[in-house]
Amino acid sequence: MRRPEEALDRKAERLSAKLAEATTRRSFLGRLGAAALAVAGGSAVAAAVKPEEAEAFHFCGHIWTTGSCPSPYPPLARIDRKGYPLHPSSGRPIDNLGRVVDSAGHAVDGNGKRLVGPDGRVLPPAPRTRICEDWTREVHGLRDLRTQGSWFRCCGGQIRKLVDCCSFSRRRINGDASLVGYCWGGRRVYCVMYYDSGLPC
Amino acid sequence: MVETFTPAVCGSRTRQRLAAAIFTLAAVASAALLGAALALVGAVVGAGRAVPVAAALALLAAAREAGLLRLPLPQSRRQVPERWRFELPLPLWAGGYGAGLGAGFLTYQPVSTFWVACASALALARPLPAALCFALFGAGRALTLVWPRRRGTDAVEAVERLAARRPALLRANVAGLAACAVLLGVAPVAHGAIVAAGLDPSVSLGNLAWARQDGSVLVRSNGVDTLFPAASAPSLDGGLLAYVDGDGIRVVRWRTGDQVARIGGNASRPSLEWPRIAYRTDYDRTRRIVLRNLETGRRRTLVRAYRPTDLGRPSLRAGRVAWHASNRAVSRITLLTISTGTRRNVARSKVALLRHPALTGKRILWTDERSGRAWLRLQRISGGRVRTLGRMRTREVGYWTTALTRRAAYATRWSLRTGRATVYRYGL
Repeated sequence: MRRPEEALDRKAERLSAKLAEATTRRSFLGRLGAAALAVAGGSAVAAAVKPEEAEAFHFCGHIWTTGSCPSPYPPLARIDRKGYPLHPSSGRPIDNLGRVVDSAGHAVDGNGKRLVGPDGRVLPPAPRTRICEDWTREVHGLRDLRTQGSWFRCCGGQIRKLVDCCSFSRRRINGDASLVGYCWGGRRVYCVMYYDSGLPC
Repeated sequence: MVETFTPAVCGSRTRQRLAAAIFTLAAVASAALLGAALALVGAVVGAGRAVPVAAALALLAAAREAGLLRLPLPQSRRQVPERWRFELPLPLWAGGYGAGLGAGFLTYQPVSTFWVACASALALARPLPAALCFALFGAGRALTLVWPRRRGTDAVEAVERLAARRPALLRANVAGLAACAVLLGVAPVAHGAIVAAGLDPSVSLGNLAWARQDGSVLVRSNGVDTLFPAASAPSLDGGLLAYVDGDGIRVVRWRTGDQVARIGGNASRPSLEWPRIAYRTDYDRTRRIVLRNLETGRRRTLVRAYRPTDLGRPSLRAGRVAWHASNRAVSRITLLTISTGTRRNVARSKVALLRHPALTGKRILWTDERSGRAWLRLQRISGGRVRTLGRMRTREVGYWTTALTRRAAYATRWSLRTGRATVYRYGL
């Protein structure tokens, strides 16, 4: 049986695809954020959250300030559908050391050949664990982390799903107060990850 | 500024002492904060690789101070604001003066040494040591105030005497900067000195054995090398050497080559402490760490793991065995006390790859790798703080096998690109 949030994700994905087709990368959210800050703090502050600058600072699609979850290639916490790390540029599965791995978890080179250690033997698999539930939990000592809400943006010509790693903690990874964001059940956004869907936008 | 801290300006001798104390505290604190902040920035932006840049900067500064180069110095040519002592209460102006001078860059810089220290703190990327070093800078600033008073002399006179010795001080500064340049230049060596090209180090009674990548083992004793061809994975125990050859594990007297024991079959990765030997055996579906008494022949399986879980080279010392087990979900370093059979996880992680433990009677060493970083960790077996002996911030080089003695740790570093391995030594 599929989880309700998966159905929600699929609907959101379809909706986002339509939305992304109709808008540019300087999205509605970006404009809304800039407008709000322009009112509060003047144009100098607003300039700091222009979508293009914010994307350059963090990663494409994420214009708000919550930091990325810890990952093999910080701050690019790119994940697969199950929350395991992927290489930020190639999208291939990587282990926790950041090495591209095959389906059995062995580190491989650019040609898919298994890497050998200095003793000439094939390197054994290293841990490859979920960014939110395993990485963030261990690195930041939070036991209640769950991958929950998500939203969608158009990045590099494809739909990007931005995913919240949520906790009951009132502090987020940045060290300041956390926001509810797309988390539910009393949890708030602790850090963020992303999943590139491959769907054109 | 020193003439400010007199009984006349402060109001009384007690208030003068109070002002000096506040000044000192503020100078030390602001300098320490600056050092910590710089190191923190260094850690965030990855300035750990900037050590050679800091070394070059120290060299340039030495040349500048020696008069060989003319380079402008970034500085604020201001002095502490005099009006503060008229407008502000004593704790505030004394603290403000101390903080301003302790922070360094807010006032006039007579020499370029301060900026070399800043670059070094950035490159160090470790807030606590950087804060401690910079605290000394702050203490030095305060010393000009406190020292003349302690000797009962006038502070202004003392400063003038110091100014009269400026040429000698400048020469000392040049020598100091040149020394810094050299020390920073060799800093990577200080973080582990190269011992030999190869892997799998093993140390006993001051003798070192390691495997070479041409498929041989070398034992180095007092500068004399003994070669064992067609061998790998050495383990030294006094005059005995265990190594892996085509037929399993062979134990020999390494000075004469006489065979003492033989373990056939698929045994590998031995660790010898006569008469015990721990090693790994591989089967179709499992890997095992086995402990054998070579005198009695008694054999005991310490751990069995299903593939693809990796069991690393065990380390056997002082009645304990340590090994690593890692798979795609978790990695752990396990320590077993042979006499009692009790075992505990010294370290466990679902994120890091923890491997290659090495033991002495009191300590345990292992490697810790994740996301482009690698550390060499050391801890007392009884527990307590985990100490970092070595660190690398690269995806191109990784740690491999280790060895540990009471005075030094040995670790293999290898290049993922070329596969070349080198044994490094780290002082404890």
